Amino acid sequence: MKRSFQAIVVGAGPAGASAALGMARAGLDVALVERGNFPGEKAMFGGLLHRLHSLEEIFPDFWNRAPLERYIAKKGTTFMTAGASFHVVSENETLYTPPYNGYTCFRPRFDRWLAEEAERAGATLINRAMVEDVIFKGGKVAGVRILRDGGELEAPVVVAADGALSFTALKAGLRRPKFNIDQVAVGVKALIDLPKDVIDDRFGLSGSQGLANEYVGCTFGIRGGGFIYTNYDSVSVGLVVHLGSLRESGKTPYDLLNDFLDQPQIAKLFKGGRLLEYSAHVIPEGGYDMIPEIVGDGILVTGDAAAFCNVSGVNLEGINLASHSGILAAKTVVEAHERKDFSRKGLSRYRELLEESFVLKDLKTFRHAPHMLHIDRIYETYPELVCSMMAGIYGISGKPKSSISKLVFREVMEKVGIKNVMSDVLTAWRAL
Amino acid sequence: MNIDEIFDYTSFSIDREPHIVLDPAVCAGCDQRGCVTCCPARCYTFNEAEKSVTFVYDGCLECGTCYVVCELNAFTRWRYPRGGFGVSFRMT
Repeated sequence: MKRSFQAIVVGAGPAGASAALGMARAGLDVALVERGNFPGEKAMFGGLLHRLHSLEEIFPDFWNRAPLERYIAKKGTTFMTAGASFHVVSENETLYTPPYNGYTCFRPRFDRWLAEEAERAGATLINRAMVEDVIFKGGKVAGVRILRDGGELEAPVVVAADGALSFTALKAGLRRPKFNIDQVAVGVKALIDLPKDVIDDRFGLSGSQGLANEYVGCTFGIRGGGFIYTNYDSVSVGLVVHLGSLRESGKTPYDLLNDFLDQPQIAKLFKGGRLLEYSAHVIPEGGYDMIPEIVGDGILVTGDAAAFCNVSGVNLEGINLASHSGILAAKTVVEAHERKDFSRKGLSRYRELLEESFVLKDLKTFRHAPHMLHIDRIYETYPELVCSMMAGIYGISGKPKSSISKLVFREVMEKVGIKNVMSDVLTAWRAL
Repeated sequence: MNIDEIFDYTSFSIDREPHIVLDPAVCAGCDQRGCVTCCPARCYTFNEAEKSVTFVYDGCLECGTCYVVCELNAFTRWRYPRGGFGVSFRMT
């Protein structure tokens, strides 16, 4: 089987479906190739979908149309030890009304919806098609080969949107064969079933309000953190751990996840809950310095495949960057069709558009964040410091109190040392 | 709460042939075995007596961890399952 299109998109996730949607809306004959039985079947993420400006331009009432669970009304950060926690939460009534800042959703539903919108706009969705190889003609990418039946799809341009490991980018010679283990993390997640009213009560929510909470100190010193995102009547709870640090620890991700769930302040949140699904996936966390070549002759790279993840330690953004890069790839391909130039030079507009947008601007701004996140004290020493300081401040011991400044100074000197604190503050200052 | 049966609630459609194949000679010479501890799906096991690593593909979450973690590139094959096969997330 051999079929020809004006463009091929590999991977029907948020980057690929956005690219296909953009191209189809401009009238191009585009194939959206997906290896799952349906888009989203293979997709895994923590559970937080940040606001998608590029899709709001296409769907002004995005929040009414997309299959979403809850909008994010509360954002929390928790410093944690095996037995203690210190929790800060930000909530603002401006978050209660659209356009919302973020949502929880299920990817098998969300990705499927977005791909169906692309189909409705005229894209050809091809499910159950695992791309095995890239076809070259005259040194330029000219299509893809499907493993299923050896079928070939031809097009003058291919958009690689096949996720963090992007074998399409690899086979096109755009990414290095070996990843740097310190630039990649793995996320593991348990989806826990809880009734809606129980979720509302335990997390202080009402109606469609949702909570996004990140945890530091719950990984036994391994670089990474935990998360809780509330869905309508289930809760996503999981960990993201850096692979280099995880491998060194000798611990397993599922044991770490179970230990997180066993922590007393976490355990009570999930009392009576039942596991619905367990999932895992790698995350490109190297930031700007991890980005592969994103433009080649007849090919563009988008989303996770291009390592477009903004991990500043504050937000963990991926899908908004993915979707926006997909839309910009579509724009580039449409222009390339007008000029009939699909060479690396002809497609170089993609890089320019990304440089002008928040995608590469943000990744540049937070270029040094991955460096900061390699301060190992963040993951055990500082959470312990915060929790023991708070215990000291609130504790009623029956003995005369020392002043709070003295207490803080003593704790810092004992647990970290002034030199380390200064150096870490400086690193964080540079990164953020 | 502690989930003993954490692996039991994820659905799979299992293909006839594995999508990941190891080179036993390479694995025999590895003393790191990051795959065994890092794999979130417990797909890799080390046999102490035979000094060999085995990979069971039918519970693979297709997460990519082993691909990144293996320093020796011990894979004679590392690809995703054929279209329509492998892990099938319902919610997530």
